[in-house]
Amino acid sequence: MKKNPVSTICKYLVLAVIMIFLLFPIYWMVVTALKSNMEAYLYPPTFAPKHVVTDSFHSLFTKNNQFFVYYWNNFIVSAWSAFICCLVAIFTGYALARFHSKWTMIVSSLLLATQMFPIISRMISLYSMMRKMGIINTRFGLILAICAAQIPFCSILMSSFFANIPKEIEEAATIDGAGRSKILFQIVTPLVKPGMVAVAIYAFLMTWDDYLHAATLIQSDNLRTLSIGIALRYLGELSYDWSLINAISVIGTVPMVLLFFFFQKYMVKGLVAGAVKG
Amino acid sequence: MNKPLSKEQGDRWYAFLLTVPAIVMATIFILIPIVDSIWKSFLQYGVKNIISGKPGIWNNFGNYLRLFASGALPNAIKNTFVFVFFVIVCQFVLGMALALVLNSNIKGARFFRSIMMVPWVVPTVISALIWMWLFQPQYGLMKYLANIFTGGRVTDFAMLNNPSTALIGVSIAALWKQIPLMTLLLLAGLQNVPDDIIEAATIDGAGKVHRFFSIVMPYMSSVIKVAVSMSIIENFKQFPLFWTMTSGGPNGSTTNLAILSYREAFVSMNLGSGASVTTIWMILMIITISLYNHFFKTPDLT
Repeated sequence: MKKNPVSTICKYLVLAVIMIFLLFPIYWMVVTALKSNMEAYLYPPTFAPKHVVTDSFHSLFTKNNQFFVYYWNNFIVSAWSAFICCLVAIFTGYALARFHSKWTMIVSSLLLATQMFPIISRMISLYSMMRKMGIINTRFGLILAICAAQIPFCSILMSSFFANIPKEIEEAATIDGAGRSKILFQIVTPLVKPGMVAVAIYAFLMTWDDYLHAATLIQSDNLRTLSIGIALRYLGELSYDWSLINAISVIGTVPMVLLFFFFQKYMVKGLVAGAVKG
Repeated sequence: MNKPLSKEQGDRWYAFLLTVPAIVMATIFILIPIVDSIWKSFLQYGVKNIISGKPGIWNNFGNYLRLFASGALPNAIKNTFVFVFFVIVCQFVLGMALALVLNSNIKGARFFRSIMMVPWVVPTVISALIWMWLFQPQYGLMKYLANIFTGGRVTDFAMLNNPSTALIGVSIAALWKQIPLMTLLLLAGLQNVPDDIIEAATIDGAGKVHRFFSIVMPYMSSVIKVAVSMSIIENFKQFPLFWTMTSGGPNGSTTNLAILSYREAFVSMNLGSGASVTTIWMILMIITISLYNHFFKTPDLT
């Protein structure tokens, strides 16, 4: 094919414009976090900090360190939810991928349907229900409510990984006399490790991002998670401390970016498989 | 397939057992609460009922009538649909443009493909903060850029504080966060388009635009359908971005159904009224998705 210089220029232009739109705000966040508050409030703004200072990070670690309580809570809740979702998704995903009966059809359409219900609708009822059960304002209750919301998509994601395992492996194992549970846990599950990673990371990312569950179910400051903690503690006053807020943003984002890049291969494969099949 | 019946029955039981945990979780924490909140939407049910444990009182559709009469609900419905439509259209066009460029063997495509995903992993509240800072009315970068690009004519640029532009401001933040995933999915779809058919069409003299609409798009239709419907659902439910950036203001111009129901239920603590908003919201969402599925049937190419 002949190369058309105009179309090549257009291509790079489109790439540059969209990439700047996507990446410049990240740069701006990092740069503002490294400015002193005086410089952050300079108008016109400086595109690179005149003096790189770590004041805002320093104050985050020493004075405003309630942030790390939220951070730790968020980590615990996300890790538990990743673990539980992954476990339940193995059971459900395998059932949906291997056994095709009326029941599994009902289950899979039910799981898809749950994606359509708004969280707030559930919370209105869960708020009084969980209060009666005595698990409101506890980490346990929060984790359960979040897991319930993540399990449907995680199960569907996992089932697309199970569906890719050739059935012959199981048939051979059956002939060798292996029972159903042995086949699932000792033969098939080790083969879907990439799926487990994808599901666990997905659940972790989604829980890390949770706002509404924690906003309605958690009342004590020491149990608050990251999003709600930031919103309530650092955005309360009329004048924001923008370089502190940007430092918080940087620290809140970094683990997610690392996690994603580290497991990128699995994540991309999983998301694409989930979307194309589900 | 002449399997003995006992094996088949055993399989059925096993499949049932495996789905029990998911079904129990979904029933307790999703289905029962949904039915319960629909029921509550017809009741006078506030924070007093929760504390005293008294059941709510039937109030003859009072919650619905009040919200319609005050204009709050029609306004929220309008904002929700405007937001969903605007974000989906822009997201699809920009996502497709980026996917096409990245799919065309340009230098560094792999690098750009992974670096572009960063906004997607930024937590929603933090992406709201990033854009609030960019749009900040006194010191924000956008004010400065608006000033420069209009040759100094625009001196006051407060996107989120102006009722006519606030919704656009939130949409930009939503686009920023969502374009990466859309691009990733479309890119996967583009890789499913068989090269030989494209080549054949090129030899037959089909132009680029023609090839795109009559070969590439149909082959991608199932991916497009899933990607767009996922995005419709996500934007229909969008809450933290609005709540952090504008709290529904100024003047109700960014109050969508999520914000309205949250305000009614958890700020005014009138849970019955909040439930009536979420009920209308669910009905609208189900109608929208059904219409979308109805009008966007995928031609079967495989």
